Amino acid sequence: MEPSKRISQRALTLWRIYGVIYTSVTLLLTIGGIILVILFDWPWWLIAIAAAILVLETVFLIWLIPSIRWKRWRYEVTEQDIELQHGLFIITRTLVPMVRVQHVDTEQGPLLRKFKLSTISISTAATVHEIPALDEEEAEHLRQSISSFARVAEEDV
Amino acid sequence: MYKPRKLHPISAIINFMKSLKDAIFPLIIVFLFNGNMFRGDVEWIPLLIWAGALLLILSFGVIRWLRFRYWLEDGELRIEYGLIFRKKRYIPIDRIQSLNFSEGIFHRPFQLVKVTVETAGSTGNQQAEAELTAISRMEADQLEGLIFDVKNHGKGTEAGEDEAPQQPERTKVFEMRNKDLVLMAVTSGGAGVVLSGVGFFFSQILDILPVGVIYEEVLNWIKIGVLVVAAAIFVIVLVAYGISILLTMLRYARFTVLLDGEDLVITRGWLEKKQMTIPLNRIQGIRIDENWIRQPLGYASVTLISAGGSIQKEAEQQLRLLPMIKKTEIPHVLKNVLKDYKIDVEYNRLPARAKIRYMIRSSWFAWAACIPVSYFFYPYGLLSIFAALGFTGIGWLSYRDAGWNLSGQQLSLKSRSFIKQTFIMKKYRIQSTYLNQSVLQRRAHLKSLLVALKSGAGTVVAPCLYMDQKDAEHILNWYRPYS
Repeated sequence: MEPSKRISQRALTLWRIYGVIYTSVTLLLTIGGIILVILFDWPWWLIAIAAAILVLETVFLIWLIPSIRWKRWRYEVTEQDIELQHGLFIITRTLVPMVRVQHVDTEQGPLLRKFKLSTISISTAATVHEIPALDEEEAEHLRQSISSFARVAEEDV
Repeated sequence: MYKPRKLHPISAIINFMKSLKDAIFPLIIVFLFNGNMFRGDVEWIPLLIWAGALLLILSFGVIRWLRFRYWLEDGELRIEYGLIFRKKRYIPIDRIQSLNFSEGIFHRPFQLVKVTVETAGSTGNQQAEAELTAISRMEADQLEGLIFDVKNHGKGTEAGEDEAPQQPERTKVFEMRNKDLVLMAVTSGGAGVVLSGVGFFFSQILDILPVGVIYEEVLNWIKIGVLVVAAAIFVIVLVAYGISILLTMLRYARFTVLLDGEDLVITRGWLEKKQMTIPLNRIQGIRIDENWIRQPLGYASVTLISAGGSIQKEAEQQLRLLPMIKKTEIPHVLKNVLKDYKIDVEYNRLPARAKIRYMIRSSWFAWAACIPVSYFFYPYGLLSIFAALGFTGIGWLSYRDAGWNLSGQQLSLKSRSFIKQTFIMKKYRIQSTYLNQSVLQRRAHLKSLLVALKSGAGTVVAPCLYMDQKDAEHILNWYRPYS
């Protein structure tokens, strides 16, 4: 019953890179903090706290969250409907009938482009649904098929 | 109607009043800083600026009226206005969803109406909307007639548009009784709104007036005694409540719902008379609200969820179909309007294991706050336990009032946060459906159902939290279109 398709394996690498970027910002702040502690003789436990945050961030942002997120992400597109499933602690399953689809967009930032990935967003009259980090070609193919399915399916809004 | 027409001259005044309302605060501030008028040393320059600004606003109003033209041509409603930037707005008549009339205090003496043109508002911004500030009642009726003529005429040539022919006569569906109007005003939550307005007013004054003087005044007040202050606050609350009652009565007086062919027409208001048209085929669902004062009295309100128009902010108030009605009478009234909506369905309750989750969900923050509050304000802080108990009680009520029903093409969801809300919607109007499940809920085989509907330019979500997993999946499968 669950949607069957997974998003690109490269998404995992990409999300880990995002994690590394966030963590390196914290790292820079921590280094700055250490210098301040040494210069102004602030208490040492400040460094301990900063280090703990750094370790937690490394574990969560680079390792745990991307892999859980990737494992959970599923989608399936048929002629009748689009089904998505994702989430970390709360798993959300979404069903969008094809007749409700108004338009489909694909979007690609610089990092996504480097990894040949692309994000697809599906809009109904009231809601927007996103599938992040799909393979470039897969996204292109999906966009075309969704828009042609949506055109065939007819019903009044 | 095919020649460009002007609005009634009174629209210059209305434009002026409207701009004045926006500019009133800066003007008052200039006025207050203008020395002490009672001592006689008036400074003239600020006063001149004041008069100049007023004159400018007035002339803008007049110019706007002078340059405004509207007419019908080539199946379009065309409007042109603007002095420096000429603006033209052409609205295809097929796109027009409804014309809404309203009469303000300036309109009444001259038999005028304000006409607002509602379109489908495809992108959600206010681009395709138009407003005729003041035209005569006769012209408005003529315009309405012509627009419907064009719409019906165009029907033959354009396939796909299926609109039923206009019936000339209107049938009255609902009229609010005076007894209900009074009851509604007395039990409305509007008191809170007026109160916050009063609070806002005082905060503005405090910013403007010299604080030092006020401070001494306050010290004096405290000497007089807390009792006086309390009495003053009580009086303010009472007055605010009175104003709120009055405003509600004025706004909803003579509330009538008419069925006009395929449109619903709602008219209401005493001083300012409003007429609102809602095409039946734009209705996405209905919502029944019961607040905690009205519920014990057996009263509820019914609001339409409509995709029509670009109405956003005021939508709530305008789309209230039955603002105050005995709950038992709702099916009887709606039977004539929305035939395929079944109101009195049997609701399935949620499983017992969801009860504790509802209670935790609504009260965990209160219990968490309880601990530091009790500790730091030791004896009296313990009273916060009662507040936490209250929130737990609300959670229990939310559990008791939640429910769902599936019958044919109709899904009904009941839920409560503070107000008990019942959403009734059709499968073919639901835009998308979500099932949520947290790690903890998975162990208990519970899932939360969220259903999205289009409302105006936005979205409204009908919830039913912590359903049995099987039921939730059953509803998702019901929503799935079959081949």
